[in-house]
This record gives sequence, structure tokens and C-alpha cells, in this order.
Amino acid sequence: MPESMNLFAVFFSAVFTGNILLTNYLGMCSFLGASREVKTALGLGTAVVFVMAATGALNWLIYCLVLVPLDLVYLRFIVFIVVIAAFVQVVEMIIERTSERLHAALGIFLPLITVNCAIMGASLFMVIRNYGLGEAFAYGTGSGLGWALAILAMAGIRQKMAKARVPRGLEGAGITLIIAGIMALAFVGFNGMLSAGP
Amino acid sequence: MKPLLEKARRNRFLKPMEPVFDALEAAVFGSDATTAGGPHCVDGLDIKRYMTVVIAGLTPAVLAAVWAFGVRSLAMIVVSYLFGGLVEVGFAMARKKHIHEGFLVTGLIFPLTLPPTVPLWVVAVGVVVGTLFGKEMFGGTGRNIFNPALVGRLFVTIAFPSIMSTAWQIPGSDAITTATPLGMYKTSQAVTALTDLLVGRATGSMGEVFRVGLIAGGLFVIWTRVSEWRIPLSYLGSVAILSAAGHRFAPARVAPPLFQLFAGGLMLGAFFMATDPVTSPFTKAGKWVFGTMCGLLTVLIRGFSGYVEGVMFSIVIMNGLAPLIDHIVLKATFRPRPRAKAGAPAPAPAHCGSCACGRDGGRGGER
Repeated sequence: MPESMNLFAVFFSAVFTGNILLTNYLGMCSFLGASREVKTALGLGTAVVFVMAATGALNWLIYCLVLVPLDLVYLRFIVFIVVIAAFVQVVEMIIERTSERLHAALGIFLPLITVNCAIMGASLFMVIRNYGLGEAFAYGTGSGLGWALAILAMAGIRQKMAKARVPRGLEGAGITLIIAGIMALAFVGFNGMLSAGP
Repeated sequence: MKPLLEKARRNRFLKPMEPVFDALEAAVFGSDATTAGGPHCVDGLDIKRYMTVVIAGLTPAVLAAVWAFGVRSLAMIVVSYLFGGLVEVGFAMARKKHIHEGFLVTGLIFPLTLPPTVPLWVVAVGVVVGTLFGKEMFGGTGRNIFNPALVGRLFVTIAFPSIMSTAWQIPGSDAITTATPLGMYKTSQAVTALTDLLVGRATGSMGEVFRVGLIAGGLFVIWTRVSEWRIPLSYLGSVAILSAAGHRFAPARVAPPLFQLFAGGLMLGAFFMATDPVTSPFTKAGKWVFGTMCGLLTVLIRGFSGYVEGVMFSIVIMNGLAPLIDHIVLKATFRPRPRAKAGAPAPAPAHCGSCACGRDGGRGGER
């Protein structure tokens, strides 16, 4: 497969076939918490796309240029978390200084996603699957977009369901998990499509 | 019988059974009640008539199924109605609400989407999961996000893959084969003759084989304005166009357009499931988007995924996206007019993307 085709396959399968939320169930906590309104979901989704794309590439560089040569691969969990947290903080400061509007849109969500497991997961998957730098970037962007797509769809559904008579015990997280389950079942349909990497 | 019903109604111990009595009374006697206050509706288009028309539209397919697959198909429909009805009645009793006629369509469509050879217990499991998790959990008829029949079908497809996709009865005989037309294309690029597909001589799910009847029934339902034409047109249209394009570039994967249109569950899905007014977008633009995306996903999944048929998956995925599509359409259509500075009482100021939380509030929480 030519290089560009492979990048596309990685990207496509990150969005649909291997959607990080609906097939790996990562990033559930913020998915449940912030999917009440489309507006909030859009803010959080954008932040996740941005941070995942950037930290995917950044962590790849650090992993391959620092950790592997120094034989410190076992430190990757700590290092990845620190890189993600530091990146988020730095970005937040830069945004605050340069663009008030962007800060207003992403402001509260940036710190929130420091501890989003989907972002850490994307970095770890990238290592397990032996992606190159380009693939790591494509995978990060695709995973972020897939996550954003899922939370936006869920927010649309929950807005529509605001007045539904859900059984009392299932209100909130319960019905959200049921909806996510049905969506995950439907995403099984993508199985085997453009699967990239091992 | 009426006095008996009245008597039962007054019985204190049978109080929880009230929805059952209501349904019985409506079914046997009909209703002579008229609205007391205005506004009076001239047309009696209610859920009941919606459902009656849809069932009438499905009748040719049901009759064809009985002819092609024997009395067994009737047994499957009975089991589906029985177990789905139990769930429906149970919830109506717990909620102290009327039993909705919506179930009559779900209970009929669900067995029609199944291979004719599945054991009856699979029918029961599927219909219970579909009604329970696809509909009742969301608050009952009219509140569901996903098509309940397809939720049930999705569940049994993934839970019992070997039962659901290996044995297909050849219509009109007892012979069993392992392949459907779409499956044969996937393995050997064999195209089944169109006439076989149209009149129901090819294998397939119970209700999908007699496509002439499905198309006639679907057009009838559209003609009565119970379902509307935008979704079937855009769904079938996008399948035709995309498969024509795809077949040109990747003939080994994507089947030719006419074959794709008449193979698999596309006609059943496009006319009777994607059009469900509850689970599809209510905006006109949204309906076009919905149908087109359904077509795109169907062609993609049929051509490139591990599954042979993609209609069910694509409709359920798009059901999940329908509220978002509506939201975006509404946002784009009814954009608050941009007003010049003066403290406009616009509901959502443009810059306020997500700072409803307040710029300071947001930062305060984090520090």
C-alpha cells in the first residue's frame, strides 16, 4: 500500500472502524458528563481533536527519540501523562494570551481533558501498533474526530430526549450508556473495513 | 362483552390491568369519543391510522413470505407479537398508560428482517431486546431514538452470528443454502438475475425477498402521505449513484447499481424503516442528508466491511445521528440575525460559543 493510502486507512479506521469511544470505550467519563448539550459537546470535542492530534505526534517523537535510545521504555506511562498535562497547560497559556475568543471556546475544556483516558489511550495504541510519525499524527487526529463525532451525536440525542419518560433508575448515566451501547453495536458494522496495522 | 368489560374495570384487584382493558375496548368496539374543546382536527390521522397504513403496505411482503417459506413464517410473526406484546403490556401497566399501536408495526417488521430459518427463541429474544432497550427504556412509542425492530435485529445478528447468517432457505422449497445474493457477490462477484430478485426467487430475509410487493407497498404508504418521499428517494438515489461510481473503480468490491438496489434489505429498509418519522430527522434538509448518508454507509459496509449487508447498520447509525442533523439544520436555518452592537437581547450572543460557564468561572474551577 502506498504511504498516503496507508495514512488514510489509519485515519479512517481511527474515526469509524476502531472508534476510540465506541469500540475501545475510552474517554467515557467526560463522554457521560459533558454530553448534555450540543454546545458543550462541541467545545469539548474540538479540544480533544486538537490535543489528541498534537500529543500523538509529540509523544511519538519523545518515545522514539528519547525513551527508546535511552532504554527507558518502561517510563512511558508517566512520561506520556506528563507530556499531555504540560502540553495542555502551555497551550492554554498561549491561547489565553493570543486569542481571547478561542480561549472562551476551549478554556474550561482544556484542563478537563488532561486526564481524559482516551488521549492517553491514543498515545499508547500508537506505540503498541508501531506507527510511524505520520501515522501517529493521522491516528491522533482520527481518534479525536471519532470521539468528537460520538459525543456530538450523543449530545444531540440527549437534547432531544430532555422530556422523555425514562424509567427513574435509568435517568442520566444509565440511559446514556444504553444509547452508547446501541451505537457501539451499530459501529460493529464497520468491522474489517480498512483495518490498519496489527 | 361490554358489560363484562365494565364489570372487570370496576374490580379493584384488576386495577393494574386497566391498559389491557383499554386496548381490548378500542380493538373490539372502537371509540365514539369526540374532542370536547377546540381546536377540532378535521383529519383523523392518528397513530392508529399511521400504523394501519404501514401494515397494509407490508401485507404483500407478508403474504409472499408465507407463500415462500411456509406456515413457519406465520409462527415467527406470532411469536414476535406475543413476546413483544408482553413487554409492551407490562410497561403500559407499570406506567399506567395506554398500550400504543406502534408495537403492531415493530412486531411485524422485526420477523420480516430475519432469515426464514432462525429458531423461534431467537425471534423472542430479539423482539424483547428491541422493544425493551430500543423503545421502552426511552419512554415508549414516539420517544425512541433508534428503530426498535432494528435494535433487536442488530442484537441477534451480533449475539448469534452463526444462526443468523449461515442457513438461508430457498423461497418456495425446503432447500437450504449458505449464500444470499449479496454474499455471492462478495465471494465470487456473481450477480443474481434481477427478475429473480424482484419476484422473490432469490434467498434473503423473510420479508425482503418479494421486492415488487415491497416497492408497491412502499409507494402506497408514500401515496397516503403516511411516510414521506424524501428519505427513500435520497437513500435509493445515493446507493445507485455511489455504487455506479464505486463499481467503476473497484468492481471486485462494489457491486453494480441495479443489483445493489434490488439485493438485500435495501427496499424494506428504505421504504419501511429509514422513513420512520420518530427516528429520522424532521427537517426537510435533514431528511435529504439522512437518506444520502444511509446510502453512503450502506454501499461502504456492503463493499468493504466484513459484513455482507449494511442496511441495518447504516440505518441505526444514522438514527443516532438524526437529532444532531436536525440540530445543525435548525441552527443554520434560524440563525439569530446579527445585530449591531446595541445590547441586543439575542438568546445566544455569537461569541458565547461555550462560555456560558463564564470565563472567570471556568478558570476559577481549574486553579
